[in-house]
Amino acid sequence: MSAITMDLRRNRLMLSYLIVAVLLVLLAVAGGFLSDRFLTWRNIGNLFQQLIVLGMVSLGQTFVVLMGGIDLAVGSLVGALTVFLANFLEWRPDLVWLALPLALVAATAVGALNGLLTVVLRVHPLIVTLGMSSIIFGGTLMYRKEPGGSVPRAFADIAYAKVGGIPLSAVVLVAIFALAGLWLQRTRTGRSIYFVGGDREAARLNGLPVDRIVVLAYALSGLCAGIAAIFLTARTGVGDPRIGAALTLQSVTPVVVGGTILAGGRGGVLGTFLGVLLVTMLNSLLNFVNVSSYYQWVIQGLIIIIAVGIHTPRRR
Amino acid sequence: MAPLDTPMPRSQSISLASVFERYGLVVFLVALMTVAALASPTFLRPANLVNVLTIAAPLGMVVIGQTFVILVRGLDLSVASLMATVAVLATAFKATTNEAIPMIFIAAIALSAVVGLVNGWLVAKRNVSPFLATLAMMIILQGIRFAYTGGAPISTLPPGMGFLASGRIFGVPVNLITLAFLAIAFGIVLHRSRLGREIFMVGSNPKAAFLNGVAPDRVVILCYVICSVCAGIGGLFLLGYVGTVSNWVGQGYELDSIVAAVMGGVALTGGRGNVFAALLGVAVLVVINNLVLLLGFPIEMQLIIKGVIIIGAAAFYRTRLA
Repeated sequence: MSAITMDLRRNRLMLSYLIVAVLLVLLAVAGGFLSDRFLTWRNIGNLFQQLIVLGMVSLGQTFVVLMGGIDLAVGSLVGALTVFLANFLEWRPDLVWLALPLALVAATAVGALNGLLTVVLRVHPLIVTLGMSSIIFGGTLMYRKEPGGSVPRAFADIAYAKVGGIPLSAVVLVAIFALAGLWLQRTRTGRSIYFVGGDREAARLNGLPVDRIVVLAYALSGLCAGIAAIFLTARTGVGDPRIGAALTLQSVTPVVVGGTILAGGRGGVLGTFLGVLLVTMLNSLLNFVNVSSYYQWVIQGLIIIIAVGIHTPRRR
Repeated sequence: MAPLDTPMPRSQSISLASVFERYGLVVFLVALMTVAALASPTFLRPANLVNVLTIAAPLGMVVIGQTFVILVRGLDLSVASLMATVAVLATAFKATTNEAIPMIFIAAIALSAVVGLVNGWLVAKRNVSPFLATLAMMIILQGIRFAYTGGAPISTLPPGMGFLASGRIFGVPVNLITLAFLAIAFGIVLHRSRLGREIFMVGSNPKAAFLNGVAPDRVVILCYVICSVCAGIGGLFLLGYVGTVSNWVGQGYELDSIVAAVMGGVALTGGRGNVFAALLGVAVLVVINNLVLLLGFPIEMQLIIKGVIIIGAAAFYRTRLA
């Protein structure tokens, strides 16, 4: 790839980021005009507490999409993990220190399994992760059909804890996104995710361990889902097999809104971060002005189409 | 490049593997039915078989359409949402006599065609990935539907709708007759007509198709319209079967239809597949579901088995990464 095309690509991505950032500012200003409670620290704090679940799942989705795949199992995985956490902690509230690593390890393992299946069986990731989603969801339902379990106070505090007045979840989210961004830009392995997403065959010919990178991307997606599930369980206090159902498709929206293209190889975590902010803020604003959730669906669909329309380069 | 009026090239060599690939699904289905018959004496009773087929018919209609879209390297996630929206539209007439049925069908097909047109336009003209275009359509239809109904179920339906869905003519379920009619009609379109050959060409190599004077965009859009119309008709038949319209009629059909098509050997990479094999995939799926019930397993087991089978089937057909 020549330096010039690289430069054009980067500029295009910057343009995508700029568009989303401008939309964010417009939205914030509109929110300030429409409701005097919208731009208060209190509401912004609330926003950030909600942000972490969608944010983490979308971050995981970003790795996979950049690598040229898609992970449709994250929703079921988050649901299964909340059920595991709430039931485990109901049984032994004193073992929080054990439950959290267990959940993260299990989540990473499921993600890695997704990656392994696409690599070993050479099956389209859509099919593999859909199938896995069905298996995980069915398995969770066989264990527990209704929401249940409980969490100890110390664990619930994770969701509401503050570090120097800033919600812990916000600090964690920003820190992880920053790390992820640095990792993707500055390390060999991180950059190879872009290579594999851009042209898998070329990456292979260049001697990159393509299969390992694919598995790594899916494992990271699983890990991110695990972190999301921890904060979600802490906030709701129960395990609910269905809680993640909508999350799968929701996690794709911020990724594409942020300018990462579904074909892989182009985009980045900054775009996803802006995308998550935009989606969450828009929903919050629509709630403030009492737009029914039904119309919020319509708007979400339109946003996907418009975002993709803006970011997708014209063919030929 | 062969001119368009010559038949599709077929591989002439008959190896064991190719025979297995072509008839493997039939063997699998027969094996599955044998297991079912051995496991439960209820399975082979005509009442149960007819019941299974009646449940399968609306799904079969959706799968016919899904096949067209997958053949041109797409997929349609909006089919289930469209089925429910069509069902809500049917009740919006608040008709209590059968005279309204033709109107309902015309309105449903018109709405479906518009939805398919938008999907196809987004994919072909705007270069939006099929996944995102139809995902967005799924959410938008869902929003519009709920905004209209407020989330409440409705049940004002002409009595004839119920007959269409579960009635019989000479002992054969009406919806099966309809499915057979649709399958033969669209089967002829796909496997015997010029349009069908163009669909296969566009699916296997859009550039080559373009150089041969085929307009890929037009073909792709047409496939999405066909898919939506099939889903819309399937929605009406499912509605008649269920009787009342919850806002989620057809939920899960988007995945089931893709599963069935993939199991029937329709390649997600486009350009390879057969409507009738896809329908065999439907048969396998419903027999599995029925088997789980007859064996008294918890119904959640269907989800697990379905998941394993879709991955296994796709691996079997070696659906390569797109």
